[in-house]
Amino acid sequence: MNNTIRMPTRRLVTRRQALAMTGAAAAAAPFILRAGRASAATELVLVNWGGDAIPNFDHAFAQPFEKETGIKVTIDGTGPTDGKIKAMVESKNVTWNVCDADGFTSENLGSRGLLEEIDYSIVDRNKVRPGHAFQYGCCSYIYSYVITYNSSKLKEAPTSLADFWDLEKFPGKRTFWKYMSGALEAALIADGVPVDKLYPLDVDRALKKLEQIKDHIILWESGADSQRFLREGEVSMGLIWHTRSTLLERDTKGEVKWTFNQGLACPSSWVVPKGAKNVKETMQLIAFMQKPELQVDLLKSMSNGPANPAGSAMAPADLAKIDPGNEANWKIQIPMDVQWYGKNYNDVLNDYLDFFAS
Amino acid sequence: MATEVAVGTSRRKLLAIGNRQDQVYWLFVLPVLLCLLVFFLLPLFQVFWISLSDPAVGPDNYIKLFDNRAIKRVVLTTLRICTITTVFSVVIGYMIAFTVVIAPPRTRSMLMFAILVPFWMSVLVRAFAWVTLLRSEGIINSFLMSFGIISTPLSMTNNEFGVLIGMVHYMVPYAVLPLLASMDGINPSLIAASRGLGAGPVQSFIKIFMPLTKPGIFAALILVFIMTLGFFVTPIILGGGKTVMIAEYITVQMQQTLRWGLASALATALLAVVLLLIGGLSRSMDMRKMLGGG
Repeated sequence: MNNTIRMPTRRLVTRRQALAMTGAAAAAAPFILRAGRASAATELVLVNWGGDAIPNFDHAFAQPFEKETGIKVTIDGTGPTDGKIKAMVESKNVTWNVCDADGFTSENLGSRGLLEEIDYSIVDRNKVRPGHAFQYGCCSYIYSYVITYNSSKLKEAPTSLADFWDLEKFPGKRTFWKYMSGALEAALIADGVPVDKLYPLDVDRALKKLEQIKDHIILWESGADSQRFLREGEVSMGLIWHTRSTLLERDTKGEVKWTFNQGLACPSSWVVPKGAKNVKETMQLIAFMQKPELQVDLLKSMSNGPANPAGSAMAPADLAKIDPGNEANWKIQIPMDVQWYGKNYNDVLNDYLDFFAS
Repeated sequence: MATEVAVGTSRRKLLAIGNRQDQVYWLFVLPVLLCLLVFFLLPLFQVFWISLSDPAVGPDNYIKLFDNRAIKRVVLTTLRICTITTVFSVVIGYMIAFTVVIAPPRTRSMLMFAILVPFWMSVLVRAFAWVTLLRSEGIINSFLMSFGIISTPLSMTNNEFGVLIGMVHYMVPYAVLPLLASMDGINPSLIAASRGLGAGPVQSFIKIFMPLTKPGIFAALILVFIMTLGFFVTPIILGGGKTVMIAEYITVQMQQTLRWGLASALATALLAVVLLLIGGLSRSMDMRKMLGGG
């Protein structure tokens, strides 16, 4: 009974959603088989983290793709953790085509032979930012770990990562992600490391800096946790996904505020599990999802920043404000070094968790 | 003498019938056994195999269990939390069970209802209910602060204290049920006899009643301890990420850091401990009776 929930890295997926998706796929199967078009027997499965992302990804990507190519795309909200992708590849029965994963997952899993290489003769490397076309993954959208605070708890607005360490001026608890991204960067920047010398991260130095405020830190596990902590005043400030900050600001009518300043801008990536069926069609889907107008649709519904700079450029002003990929916002953030995470994440995450458990 | 012989004969008869129909009964059980083999024992063996073969064949993962600092910490945290939870659950459970046993029938069924309703409730719901009560702007803190009893909110959640409260609350019914079964089996005339021979109520309780419930106490201790070893949801929700128990550590190694060998070794070790405890338990008492089924 203690396994009733899984806590994936991104979003809490309920069993019901997973069942609903399976049910939908099963119900749709006969129609696909009966459809008359040549490619109609092909069906692709896009796996993301569930919740609102299921209808929103469907609207932004799956429906337009089916309209253009006749290939049906099913959105599955299971939550493709690294562990689940590995399990599926090793079972040699790969039913997923493309997964919504962290940028560094492409490095981490790709180097272990668990992912297909991205075919850049189909996918366009010029439709993502420089450095975001990875060997085993291609940037899908941009998200950011941003300074977010409950203004009813603080007299002044925190504007920099160093403010997390100023307990007098900014009283109350702080929250960082349990799975590390952002926390070590925050500590090093607060300790005076310049942004261009940030990577490779000096983990020991970062943990030493975190030690100073360790008793005032709690860790958020799912995005919903981060919202709960800030809304309920359990913490006064935190470093959380900008997608959640956007929701918090709206839900609390501006009591919770946030800024892109010194946020950690991260690419998510589309990855294809090794041994997936219909790899060519999957690559076509990834290429199709590079269209700027589709990415703006996702920016509107989910606050996910377009991976394609052309998408950011065409976003209207009210959306540009919440887009981490927007040039004005991009300039004041810190870009995550995906290569460093890909190589070091597994080891350093264990040190990080042990640090907080001790 | 005569009755003993009679019982002996009828049991022999029953056994004889049983022998003839054994094959039929086995047919009924066979599908379940097959399911158990294919969907439970084989995967379990696979877990064991992973622990010995990932990343390389050998006992390395088991050696790591003993010399890895982080794992040592996780194991110690788990043992500490489980021990405290077990002691509190059984003490509270004992008081509740005793109250139920001495209560008149109507009150008794009401009390049983109050014990069983939380027992059936989802672990998730119960953890979040505690968050509502314990958080810094939660019901308890706002109440205490509005009466000026405290000036700064007490830290009751997102730490080990919160985890303990949530776990004790979850485990109390599991302690009550075996205790209740053993208390129900005590012949009330023994207490009456003790009182009749001049012992006071306290003395009767300590000298007569309590020793008779020893098997129940033992069963409750082991049952609660075994169940707490695998706790996952409650520490995650009430621990604020800083109270990491074995089950969560295994999940992180499976899902995030891909150390399947280490995770499997830890899971196997946990299973071995649980099996040993169950073995000790079943030797010293009738398992069916303990769980209230007999």
